[in-house]
Amino acid sequence: MAKKKEIKREERIASVIMTVFSAAYLVGTFFQIPTSSIRQVVGPAVFPRAVGILMLLISVVYLIQQMRGLVKEADEKRAAIIGADEKVETKADIKTMAVMVLIMIAYALLFEPLGYAVTTFLSFMAGLLVLNRKHLIRDTIVGLVASFGMYFIFTTLLRVQLPAGVLSLFGL
Amino acid sequence: MQQLISNIALGFGVAGTPFNLLLAFVGVFLGTIIGVLPGIGPMTGVALLIPITFGMPPSSAIILMAGIYYGAMYGGSTTSILVNTPGESSSVVTCIDGHEMAKQGRAGPALAAAAIGSFVAGTFATIMLMAFGPFLAQVAIKFGPPEFFALMVMGLTVVTSLAGRSMLKALFATLFGLAIAMVGIDMQSAVQRFTFGNLQFMDGIEFLVVAIGIFALTEVFVNICEMKNPKETSMEQIKGGLWMTKEDWKRFWPSSIRGTLSGFFVGGVAGAGAAVASFVSYGLEKRFGKHKKELGTGAIEGVAGPESANNAAAGGSLIYLLCLGIPGSGTTAIMLGALIMMGLQPGPLLFTQQPAFVWGLIASMYIGNIMLLVLNLPLVGMWVKLLKVPEYLLTLLIILFSFLGVYTMNNSVQDLLLMVGFGVLGYGMKRADIPAAPIILGMVLGKNMEEKFRQSMVISDGSLGIFLQRPIAVFFLLVAFASITNPYWKYIPMGFRKLFGKTPKAV
Repeated sequence: MAKKKEIKREERIASVIMTVFSAAYLVGTFFQIPTSSIRQVVGPAVFPRAVGILMLLISVVYLIQQMRGLVKEADEKRAAIIGADEKVETKADIKTMAVMVLIMIAYALLFEPLGYAVTTFLSFMAGLLVLNRKHLIRDTIVGLVASFGMYFIFTTLLRVQLPAGVLSLFGL
Repeated sequence: MQQLISNIALGFGVAGTPFNLLLAFVGVFLGTIIGVLPGIGPMTGVALLIPITFGMPPSSAIILMAGIYYGAMYGGSTTSILVNTPGESSSVVTCIDGHEMAKQGRAGPALAAAAIGSFVAGTFATIMLMAFGPFLAQVAIKFGPPEFFALMVMGLTVVTSLAGRSMLKALFATLFGLAIAMVGIDMQSAVQRFTFGNLQFMDGIEFLVVAIGIFALTEVFVNICEMKNPKETSMEQIKGGLWMTKEDWKRFWPSSIRGTLSGFFVGGVAGAGAAVASFVSYGLEKRFGKHKKELGTGAIEGVAGPESANNAAAGGSLIYLLCLGIPGSGTTAIMLGALIMMGLQPGPLLFTQQPAFVWGLIASMYIGNIMLLVLNLPLVGMWVKLLKVPEYLLTLLIILFSFLGVYTMNNSVQDLLLMVGFGVLGYGMKRADIPAAPIILGMVLGKNMEEKFRQSMVISDGSLGIFLQRPIAVFFLLVAFASITNPYWKYIPMGFRKLFGKTPKAV
């Protein structure tokens, strides 16, 4: 039962976020879209506004359903037939996830200054330390191939530009 | 007829170049790997691999993508049969009888039935595309903006209505996709929308950034959370020969043909994805199969039918994509987005303006199907080994590929951060059970849909009535309406009280 409660709470939070986003988007169509100098039958704000109104409508209905507890058990048979994604039932591992997100952000920010190969290798190793450090030697080799190997394949074979970063100091 | 033959010749001329043959092979190969690997579905796979196609001519790019698509569809069945974990939703049904067969030591025939069934269905879908594609394109070429707008509304709603447990949430996801498609400079008035003065937002949010974030990175987060409580799986060994016996063949054909026809109808005509097709086919086998009592206990019909059906449906949804420019599934939506990025506009004009592209793709579908057949059965041992790649390594590699792919697109760090953001969002959506595929659909169709809407309004001088004056548009809109409202039809006889009252049991 605890699991169900958890899911229900998550859906409630989602419904609130959806409603707030829709409202913000709708308001945004008034302030973030300047009027065009060209005279048009349908201006640049009309379509987004229609989308915003529909979105708000749907999320308010959903919000009301959630708040009043009107939600019925989802039709699992139908969900299986149409191939809906499986529900995530395991508890979120917020701590590990947060660390991984931080690694990804660092990966993105260091991508250009340090260069593709070096940042990729460092991020890979950081990820390894977080997720599993039982086979460090084998996995380090995988990491080296995936970062430096990929860099050379992409830049020399496929001629795709990737930031060299610190590698350029060595004339590579 | 002569036209058709010369077109086919043109197609094989394009697809038969060594480079394109190689790409078809690489596509099918990578696709199968993606299909086999747990946690990477066809959508994630195609999105992650699109960056490889940058710099290729469009015909080569689509040949590669179609190969990946086909391969992934097929690869999923291998894991269903051997490990009882479907690689993607369309091979869920295959698990039932396929895995049962594997337990009985008949994994070989099950894999063969899946491969040959896929081949039969894929070939059939390709022939249908050849026969009816040009015809459909000719009809669609007469469509004006109102018809196209209505068609897109229909395409969005039909796919949306089949996207998740809750219609409301699926609709929201579609609209959310449309909403973010509006970001950037409006082509028709040169006005900036939702750019917040950010230079990179002027070109809009790249759909691939969203697709990779919302599929690949979300998958990463799901994997991370699952690592703490791993699932127990048992892998069945392949015992005995791979080949089917005479008896197997006899039982294979009727169900494969039923599966192919029903799958093509469900996917190609009704536009309802491969997963539905496989279930419809299983239902047919249960009803009309000669050995229906054995279904569920390892009957070959339970593999041949659904596997044929999901491939026929996959081929069928390509017809929609090529002739009308409407994606029939999440994966084809990603392919459509990629084609638009390359400057092509899929739709009825494609057949007349880019014959080499269309017929080259069709020819490569034949070639890809044959390659799948040749590639899969002998290599099945290798595919099985792939399942032993540790999950955390796979997860880290998905991250690396996501970053590589998104960065090479625009050389933009902002795109990387945006992708991470969408990854987190995607995980949140997953927890709230909001389907992600409609977002991509909305994003890919958004700009075009708005354009058609505005063109319609110019024609009618601002009156919405134009959509009701055109019979074809009315038909499309009615289908759209029916597809969103049909889950609620059962409430109509019960009256409004049941719908709004307190009667439904709260969870």
